[in-house]
Order: sequence, then C-alpha cells, then structure tokens
Amino acid sequence: MAKKKSPMLKIILIFFIVEVVLVFLSGNFSKQLEIGFEHGKFRIRHVETEYNLQEKITEEFQIDEYYSQHGKTPEIYGSKKLYNLFKFLSKFGTVPFTPMGTFQLLRMILIVDIVLLLMALFIRKSLARRPAKSQIIFELVYTSLEEFVTETLGKDKVNYTPYIVTLFIFIWVCNMIGMIPIPGFMEPTRNLNVPLGLGFMVVIVVHFTAIKMKGAWKHIQNYINPVKNPLCLLDIVGEASKVVSISFRLFGNILGGAIIILVVSSLVSFVVLPIGLTLFFGVFVGTIQAFVFTMLALTYIGVEIAE
Amino acid sequence: MNLTLAQGIVKASALLGAGLCMGMGALGPGVGEGFVAGKACEGIARSPENASLITRTMLVGQAVSESTGIYSLVIALLLIFST
Repeated sequence: MAKKKSPMLKIILIFFIVEVVLVFLSGNFSKQLEIGFEHGKFRIRHVETEYNLQEKITEEFQIDEYYSQHGKTPEIYGSKKLYNLFKFLSKFGTVPFTPMGTFQLLRMILIVDIVLLLMALFIRKSLARRPAKSQIIFELVYTSLEEFVTETLGKDKVNYTPYIVTLFIFIWVCNMIGMIPIPGFMEPTRNLNVPLGLGFMVVIVVHFTAIKMKGAWKHIQNYINPVKNPLCLLDIVGEASKVVSISFRLFGNILGGAIIILVVSSLVSFVVLPIGLTLFFGVFVGTIQAFVFTMLALTYIGVEIAE
Repeated sequence: MNLTLAQGIVKASALLGAGLCMGMGALGPGVGEGFVAGKACEGIARSPENASLITRTMLVGQAVSESTGIYSLVIALLLIFST
C-alpha cells in the first residue's frame, strides 16, 4: 500500500502545510462561518474579527470582570427569568454579588443534577435479572469502588460506599459536561467554589466519622491537649491544608486544561480541531482527577477509623 | 489600555514572576512523575501478573505528586489575572 504514492496525497500534504503556516500567521483573528437568512436571502459568510487572546481568556474565565470592564450587557444562554431573579437578589447582599458567573455556575450544577437524576431513573427502570449493557457498566463502577472501600475501611464499614460512589460520579459528570460544545457550557469544577465545597464536605465527614468511632471528647483532645498530643497545633494546620490540597488539585487541573484547550484551539482554529486535546484534558485528566479525589477522601476516612 | 510607569513595572514583573513560577514549579513534578513511572515499569517487568494494580497505583501517585505543579499553576494564574 505504501509502495505507490498517489499524487492526490502529495497535493493534500502541501495544502495542509500551507494552511498551517497561514493559520499561524493570522493567529490574532477569530474566524467564523456565518450561515443563515438575512433580508429573506440565504447567506453564507466568512467573518474575521481581530481579538486579543488575553481578553478572550478573561471573557471565558472571569466573566463578571469582563462585562464590568467593557460595560456591555452580558450574553445570556438559558433562562432570562432566572438571571433577572439573580440580578434582583444581588442588590440585597452586603458583599458585592456577581450575578453572571454565579448564574452560569448554578445553571451548570443544575444540569449536572438533572443528568444524575435521569441516569438513576434510567438505570432503575432497566434493572433486570439478565443485565443490559448500561446495567453492566454501572455494576462494574459500583462493585469496583465498593472493593476499594472494603480494602481500606474493612468489611464492616461498607456503608460508606454510597457517599464514595456519589462523589466519584458527580465529579466525573462535572468534568465531562464541559466537552459538550454548546455556548455557555463549562465544567462546574472549573470554579473554585465547587471543589472547595466538596473538600469541606469531605473533612466534615472525616470528623463525623472520628467522633462516631472515638467519642467527641477524646477526638477534640487530640487538637487542644498538648500533653496528650505534643503536635496539636500542627494538626490543626494539617486539617486546613487537607481542604486546600484536595480541592486546589481538582480545580487547577480542570482550569489549566480548559485554558490550554482555549489557547491552542484559537491558535490553530481551522486546521486542527482540538479533539486530541479534549480527549487528554477532558476524558483522561477528568477521570483520573475524579478517581484521585475519591481515593484521597477514602484515605482520610480510613486514617480516622484505623486509630 | 493606558498605564503609568509604576503600573507597567508592576504588570511586567508580575508576568515575569508568573513565567518563572510555572517553569520552576514544573521541575519537581516532572522529575517525580518520571521516577514513579520508571519504578512502575520495573515492577511490571518483575511481576507482570500485577500490572493492573501497579498501573492504578502509579496513576494515583503521579496525580498526587503533580499537585505542587498545580499549585504553581494556580499562583501563576493569580499573578497574571489579578494584577
């Protein structure tokens, strides 16, 4: 097959190289194909606008600051009534409240929740003695995570499995949903507030477990009694650093991936579709980070149980 | 965008600091992840029947040792966008 090179292949290769060079030369332009009806006529148009990459990143990742700097009205994807409600509510707060970013984040979390609910209903409906494909996949996920829980916590603590599985599936769906190419879609984990909330929840569950296992007074003595535990002050700092490390890892990975996808795909907008980048930063890194988050939460719980 | 000289100096040094932060912060995780991957290769060569367990542990270990690089990424982003 490789013996005889067709001339067509050469032409395509030359065309490809020329296009790569041209695209890199015109990197500061955003190119769009406009298709639609205008004044009753069908029209295909090729629009080029110049833009600054820094401003593009600001628009994508710090949406409130962008609109307050430029004084434009924000483009709203989704329900306008909900956004107006947020805008109305933002007048009452004492802290300056940012309606657009919060609106987008809450909308994405609601979509993730709806996806999870639909998933649960769908799986529940298709439960059968002879399992279908979807049931096999979900049983695989559940049983493998249950195996991890029994390995780390012991056989009598299997009741932590629902929390761990929910954490994993929620973070995984959050990381995956940013890949759907609809304007306004983003990963909810890209905003720091979501991983920080999940991290606080993990630490609360850890301390709840410790109090349940050892008793409240015995557990609190670990942190305030310098006779029993000479490093009690360091332990308090350690608890805070648990939250920071577990949540900043998830946040930084997802945000860095999103910025790299944006920058590279705006540099080579017509030649290379960012499929490979999306596969790596979306699917691979997203799955690994969701797994790491759940594993670390499990380890923190396991440390308290083992003592 | 009109900047005074002082603002320009602050902005320039923040961008320089972001570049330095990212470059130096990427050194440690690179060395660490390579080390983990090499050790995992040795382990798989010694006992190929445990390959899936070793790969899983390796990925988790790499993701944890990557976190210092991620912190430097977060600090670099803060330097770029908040000055």
